[in-house]
Amino acid sequence: MFVESLKLCGLVILLAPLAGAVLAGAFGPVLRGRAHWPAILGVGTALIAAIYVLIQVAHAPLGAAAVSIPIYDWIADGAGSLFKVEFLIDPLTAVMLVIVTGISLLVVVYSRDYMREHGHPQQGYERFFAFLALFVFAMCALVLCGNFLLLYLGWEAVGLCSYLLIGFYYGRPAAAAAAKKAFLVNRVGDFGFGLGILLIYLNFQTLDYRSVFEIVERGFVLVREEPISPALMTTIALLLLCGACGKSAQLPLHVWLPDAMEGPSPVSALIHAATMVTAGVYMVARCGAIFSASETAMTTVAVIGALTALFAATIALVQTDMKRILAYSTISQLGYMFLALGVYAADSAIFHLFTHAFFKALLFLGAGSVMHAMGGVIDVRHFGGLRRALPWTYATFVIGSLALAGFPMFSGFFSKDEIIHHALAAHPLLGGMALLTAALTAFYTFRMVFLAFHGSPRVPVGVHPHESGGWMLAPLCLLSIGALAAGYVGVEATGRAFHRFLLPVFASTFASAHPIHAAAHETFWTNYGLMVVSGGLSIAAICVAYVFYVRQPWIPGLLKASARGVYQLLWGKYHVDELYDLSVVRPARQTGRICVGIDDYFVDGLLWVVTAVPRGIAYLLRTMQSGLLQGYALSMVAGVVLLLLLAL
Amino acid sequence: MPSAMGYVIVGAVLFALGLIGFLVRRNLIVIFLSTEVMFQGIVLNAAAFARFHHHLEGQAYALFLLVIAAVEAGLALGLVMLLYRRKDTLDADAWSFMRG
Amino acid sequence: MTSTTAYVLYLVSALGAASLYFLLPRAGPSKMAIGAALGVSAFVGLFGILGTQDSVERSDEIFFHLFGIAAILAAARVITHPKPVYSAIYFVVVVIAVAALLVLQNAEFLAVALVLIYAGAILVTYLFVIMLAQQPGSPIYDRRSREPFLAVVVGFILMALIAGRAGELPTRAAEKTVLADGERIPASTASLLPSNTMAIGAAVTTQYVVALELAGVLLLVSMVGAIALSRKRITSDVVRSPRRALGQIGKEVDPF
Repeated sequence: MFVESLKLCGLVILLAPLAGAVLAGAFGPVLRGRAHWPAILGVGTALIAAIYVLIQVAHAPLGAAAVSIPIYDWIADGAGSLFKVEFLIDPLTAVMLVIVTGISLLVVVYSRDYMREHGHPQQGYERFFAFLALFVFAMCALVLCGNFLLLYLGWEAVGLCSYLLIGFYYGRPAAAAAAKKAFLVNRVGDFGFGLGILLIYLNFQTLDYRSVFEIVERGFVLVREEPISPALMTTIALLLLCGACGKSAQLPLHVWLPDAMEGPSPVSALIHAATMVTAGVYMVARCGAIFSASETAMTTVAVIGALTALFAATIALVQTDMKRILAYSTISQLGYMFLALGVYAADSAIFHLFTHAFFKALLFLGAGSVMHAMGGVIDVRHFGGLRRALPWTYATFVIGSLALAGFPMFSGFFSKDEIIHHALAAHPLLGGMALLTAALTAFYTFRMVFLAFHGSPRVPVGVHPHESGGWMLAPLCLLSIGALAAGYVGVEATGRAFHRFLLPVFASTFASAHPIHAAAHETFWTNYGLMVVSGGLSIAAICVAYVFYVRQPWIPGLLKASARGVYQLLWGKYHVDELYDLSVVRPARQTGRICVGIDDYFVDGLLWVVTAVPRGIAYLLRTMQSGLLQGYALSMVAGVVLLLLLAL
Repeated sequence: MPSAMGYVIVGAVLFALGLIGFLVRRNLIVIFLSTEVMFQGIVLNAAAFARFHHHLEGQAYALFLLVIAAVEAGLALGLVMLLYRRKDTLDADAWSFMRG
Repeated sequence: MTSTTAYVLYLVSALGAASLYFLLPRAGPSKMAIGAALGVSAFVGLFGILGTQDSVERSDEIFFHLFGIAAILAAARVITHPKPVYSAIYFVVVVIAVAALLVLQNAEFLAVALVLIYAGAILVTYLFVIMLAQQPGSPIYDRRSREPFLAVVVGFILMALIAGRAGELPTRAAEKTVLADGERIPASTASLLPSNTMAIGAAVTTQYVVALELAGVLLLVSMVGAIALSRKRITSDVVRSPRRALGQIGKEVDPF
């Protein structure tokens, strides 16, 4: 009964958004301005089913929390390998499903107004909702599935939807280029990911989660009667990490995320803040058995996470495009999650994922609201004093920013604090980087807020900002409630409900090597000291930003002039894009040109020679086609004579 | 006893001359006239064989051939008139659209 | 026919071909003299052979030679004369000569029918058409031939083949005086029917009656067709295109 109801819910979660996508796509021209309804209904149904799954899993008897539900046999080659379409539903899945469907529903509702200009739907309105619903389907498939093959499938599908949505305004060259860049960089990561999955299959003869993790934990491959070498585990884990870096925009494959801001703001909110980019985090958490079997891999994950967090935070300090600041902030927060995973604190990583989904989506939707009000302008230097014109947007935006900055008592504070705690316990350097990044985060977040909403208006001529409609404000308000309160599910007061919920998932993998739980409750300072420090840091950073950008606006200019070199480095995003262009893109283009040359001259030349034969024959034969009756008659008579000569 | 050789040879010569005329001349009317010359040769041939075999089948054949020739001449000349009207010339070269 | 005769026949054919080649309408100065000379020698050779062979009845021989020469000469003139009217007139000569040859073969009805239909009807129609469609002066298409060499070669090879075979024809079967049931009516009908015409009439209306009916239908259809054709309204679509010289067709397009 339990399994049956879960199976039904799983199918509903998958198929409802897909049906919505298909309906919106197929009947788009008919529906036109009402094309958002299939998407809303599809995703809404999925949300209800996801909540039901969550409740079911929460009330499941202990020990039966992870349920593997086969749907049907997909590939059976008769020689023993069998790939099924199957679900794996456990607390991690339930949480991810609720996050994905919930945020998606809010984004879809928001898009109903966003994708309109003066009340009329934009060009491609129906296409947008079809793609959004398709994305929800793909992401749910990624999260729900029970084996690596379907994971890869869902992985690629979300990449595809991301490409489609980033390049939504395909007429703009910048958007098309950004979509291509996202897809290609993801491809690089997915290549490593695919290799990792192949290695798993080659060594373990199976791809479904249960069996693989069982084999890994046992440390012994029954089929071949040999123990698994640590080198193999490290290789597999690092290859899987490649995919995670690509999808979650970690160093060195982070370059696509800032460019992906060319897509509409709801897309940025959903895909590049709350859901798709967290697929990497989800995957590492899911494959905890594989990763925790290799020390090297875990260290790599933590180091990459910490480095990325700091790197992105420094770049965000000088950006002027509001969405780009938020993009770098996303990269930075994802770095936090990877850091948490790397120091064996997977539940903290998922907790941060949870809170981050709320406030980052809120911030992106708020930025979209500002953009919508300002007619497409997104440069903070052209904003100013918008809090009077856009009061609701301002309020929700500030709530989200406070959460992002880790202001005490907001959701981000709790989740980030946990990560810093674990990082410090693992290695002081990692913890230090995490703390520094927290401070920088608070600073640049409020730099953005003060520049955009405070001060005297620097709005360009002809732009009259006006507050957005109800369809856009309602999701903002709901998300701000989440940004405020979502953290409370993971605090001591509620008995750390969130972490306890996820405990069965990580009990055998991450937590076992986790040294923190032992020394949990010691002194006030150990428990709450870090909270005080990080909270204080964030408040201080906010005050500094206030001083810099509201009180004494000449200070940033002075700093910029005095530290020209540093500023240029940060402004140019550490020139990573240029580096990639020189080392990868240009050689690839050159190779392409060489191939074109070979094709044009060599291959076409060969073809020319080959076709010269029929052409020559045709030239000779063409002279016989004179069009004259008597010429043909002559040929006929000549033929008759020839026959007679032969016969007689 | 003599054979039909003489008449057959004369008939063959007439046929060959008519054929050459058909292949060589460019005037549409002369082309058709040459086909009539060919008919003459055939008629001669048929009658010679009729006499040779002592029955009238060859002559009957020649008679019906005459009918055919008359029919053909009538229609051919009608067509030649139409062709002439279209191109204002009797040149067979004027009708070489299908040259390749 | 012996093989030497066969080779002589081929030689005669070659001579005839050469003569015709020179007689056909051509550009440049007229080479009719050479053509005529070669033609005469060809005639001499041909009828010399025929004379030596036992080719026709003794009694018919002189007439056969006369009318044979006339027919071939006139036919040669039909195809080589530059003016269409003259071609038509020479064709009449051909018709009459062939009619005479038919009479020599006891096919009087056929001979008279030939003269009536050809010289009477078909030639008149031809002359009408020539008059209607004639262009003033001597147009180019009457003064040039198309591929005379090839055509002449091909035609005379054909003729030589047939003539060579003709020499191997067996001699005539003996006349039959008594007819069995169902046998065909003999040609020399002195015993049974008074004239060739009656014999033909009887044969056509009894043995070949289906063909007779079909011939009637064919004539009707052709009449209808001719009327339909003549009612067609045609407008001239002559576009004065540049004249193309002989032998240039097909060599104008660069294939590569």
